[in-house]
Amino acid sequence: MNKYNVYWVKFLKNKRNKYSLFVFGFIFILSLFAEVLSNDKPIIMSIDSKLYFPIIMTYSDKHFDGYFDTEADYKDNFMTQKIAMKNNWAIFPLNPHSYDSINLNKSTPNPAPPSQYNYLGTDDRGRDVLARLLYGFRLSVLFAFALTAIGILIGLFFGALQGYYAGKIDLYLQRFIEIWGSMPELYLLIIFSSLFEPSVLLLIILLSLFGWMGLSDYVRAEFLKGRNMEYVIAARTLGLSDTKIILKHILPNSMVSVITFLPFRISGAILVLTSLDFLGLGVPPDTPSLGELLAQGKENIEAWWLSISTFLVLTGTLLSLIFIGEGIRESLDSRSE
Amino acid sequence: MKILEIKNLSLKSKKSNALLLNNISLTLNKGETLGIVGESGSGKTLTGLSVTGLLDSSIFEVISGEVIYSKQNLLACPEEYLRSIRTKKISMVFQEPMLSLNPVQTIKKQLDEVIKLHVTKIKKDINSLSKEIIIKTGLEDVDKTLLSYPHMLSGGQRQRVMIAIALVCKPDILIADEPTTALDVTLQLQILDLLNNFKIENSMSMILVSHDLDLIKNYSDHIIILNNGVIVEDGLTRNVFEKPKHEYTKKLILSKPDKIITKNSGDKKILETKNLSCRFPLNNPFFTKNKKYFTALSNVNIHVNIGETVGIVGESGSGKTTLAMAIMQLLNYDGNIIFDNKDLSMLSNKDIRKYRNNFQIVFQDPFSSLSPRLNILEILSEGLVAFNKDIKYNELFDICTSLLSEVGLSNDMLLRYPHQFSGGQRQRIAIARALSMKPKLIIFDEPTSALDVIVQKNILELIVSLQEKYSLSYCFISHDLKVIKSISHRIYVIKDSEIVETNSTENILNYPTSDYTKNLIKSSFLS
Repeated sequence: MNKYNVYWVKFLKNKRNKYSLFVFGFIFILSLFAEVLSNDKPIIMSIDSKLYFPIIMTYSDKHFDGYFDTEADYKDNFMTQKIAMKNNWAIFPLNPHSYDSINLNKSTPNPAPPSQYNYLGTDDRGRDVLARLLYGFRLSVLFAFALTAIGILIGLFFGALQGYYAGKIDLYLQRFIEIWGSMPELYLLIIFSSLFEPSVLLLIILLSLFGWMGLSDYVRAEFLKGRNMEYVIAARTLGLSDTKIILKHILPNSMVSVITFLPFRISGAILVLTSLDFLGLGVPPDTPSLGELLAQGKENIEAWWLSISTFLVLTGTLLSLIFIGEGIRESLDSRSE
Repeated sequence: MKILEIKNLSLKSKKSNALLLNNISLTLNKGETLGIVGESGSGKTLTGLSVTGLLDSSIFEVISGEVIYSKQNLLACPEEYLRSIRTKKISMVFQEPMLSLNPVQTIKKQLDEVIKLHVTKIKKDINSLSKEIIIKTGLEDVDKTLLSYPHMLSGGQRQRVMIAIALVCKPDILIADEPTTALDVTLQLQILDLLNNFKIENSMSMILVSHDLDLIKNYSDHIIILNNGVIVEDGLTRNVFEKPKHEYTKKLILSKPDKIITKNSGDKKILETKNLSCRFPLNNPFFTKNKKYFTALSNVNIHVNIGETVGIVGESGSGKTTLAMAIMQLLNYDGNIIFDNKDLSMLSNKDIRKYRNNFQIVFQDPFSSLSPRLNILEILSEGLVAFNKDIKYNELFDICTSLLSEVGLSNDMLLRYPHQFSGGQRQRIAIARALSMKPKLIIFDEPTSALDVIVQKNILELIVSLQEKYSLSYCFISHDLKVIKSISHRIYVIKDSEIVETNSTENILNYPTSDYTKNLIKSSFLS
């Protein structure tokens, strides 16, 4: 484990790496708790000396002596009065809005500028920008993680297959990749998004179909180089099976290029999702997304809080990811020792 | 007459602050050859580079000293002046002829460039001069050579072109930095003779940098021996070789591999190849029927007896490594390989894998033969685990410890990684890995070529002592007849994918029959 420590120390030595990782990690972990940080339901409340946990449990209006079977709306006059009654209390999250909650009691027209009610203003449907940014950031990053993970698995598999066995397998797979790679990805996305109901899962599947090729080329090249290294030949003479040689000898030595690729692929995936959302081809309309906020910013050019805040979040994310990537590359590079 | 003088030159690395050259002083007289000998990292190349001011000032820092040529201190001269004397007055030839020539320009263009810069700008003179120098360097078919690109020439031809470029201005001093190390032995003599003749004709002075003592001994008048950036001995070549004063010099001269052959070798064959042939498809178009092949081995018949060391000697491209790979069952071949009365060519891949522990290989480059991400324990235990899945960690640890002591390393090294070892230590680990399988036959593919001479000798001694202990059979492949001679019972000479000659070591050296073998012996300074 000693050697990983060395890389880690080397990575943290550079202040830019350290702060990028810290900022990105902090915001990402915060966003994982978005429901607690930014929600239109109270975290905990007490009505008629009974405790309720609206974030975890769903309560209907009838629980609070209302008339409807639907879930209680804690911003509704009925509920606010109930909470304001003597001995009743409620603790709301720091930002008392969810990504899809609309404040109906507001006097200003939408999109509304930042105010004490909405710290970063609202979008053109009256939804809180801060909440949408937080949830949108989380969705983008998780989406990017998933896309990258799938891409790496497929890319590693095909790259290793091609590079290690070379010859005919490599020849045919490479031709397949050439044909597959020359398909017009964007048009397929447009066609599919009109054929099927848009969803995050559909997007991941469609983008995964094309996203693995860049990496598989890299892995293939690393494996082609690796298969003729003397320590690999030595492992074959020791009687090791192909799978073992691939997993134990070639893969660890070609991991540097894969790991170096990671943050760049993640930032690329975030950018792809944002662009698709911006064009309206991405996630379904209600889903919080950075691209949709940017599109709103374009529509409402005078609502500066929309475009500037989204722009800052997006740039900050991409920049810190790229800095992290550079840091990883430098710390894994054995030449700079 | 003094032509170049280096006075108390000290040089350090800016990055690590290490002293690379310490108080180097030397003089070069007109018409004389000065040999600089040392192991890798001793500073011999740096000494050569400092003369022409080619040291990268962002890496190296001159602490003190002067390099005096025609009454000027070159270290203090401006870059323009240095540029005007480089190649014209002080010229260099480097080791790697492939890297020193521009691959996208013809030979003529690169040669003309130098002439235009330093000699004449008249087109007619340029043409005649370039032809003249090419003829002098012994290249046949002058016009064709001039119009070819570097990749169309062989290594020896390229080095001749480099020499032509270096000598076309008739410089006062030629610095030859390992000029023949990348070339086959039979070419070495030709190139050095060429340099020597030119030196005598033009009363040029030469600094010959090399790790090869025999070469220096035959071609230099004076000699300097460098160790860790310090001159440990200098003097007339003959004196130094006859009466070395410094311990290091003695060690260096004695490091020439002695005859260290085990006595008893049996008559029972452990390995035999019958009409072993091997060919590789050339870059054929996909749909052609009559494909072209490159023949790497044709009808090779060799055998190795139990407890015997068989030397296989040949130049690069002669097929020696292909032979090793075929015996190791790592590539497809025609013919039969019979190992311990079992025909390996009849076995399936799966059966061969089970049989692999019987024959092992040790490679040339100890830096690429050990996986950089595994520690020594993992490297050594790998084969053991592959053959015995139930083996316990304790057992593995004990076996690996004893393997390390077998090759002369201490067991506290088990958890280190390959980059923490020197070349010689790595080669010992590679040998330990081969031993871990308890093989009957080990193939050594140039195991000492990447090592310094003193380490080379230690490794050879280790190899022989292991043979005595376990009555192993060896197949020892090398381009270096000196090494082969010291360790083999029998020798096969391989050339252009065929065995040209085979006999016991004494007979081959004393009564070679083929011209090629004779040439090889002469080039290795063995006659």
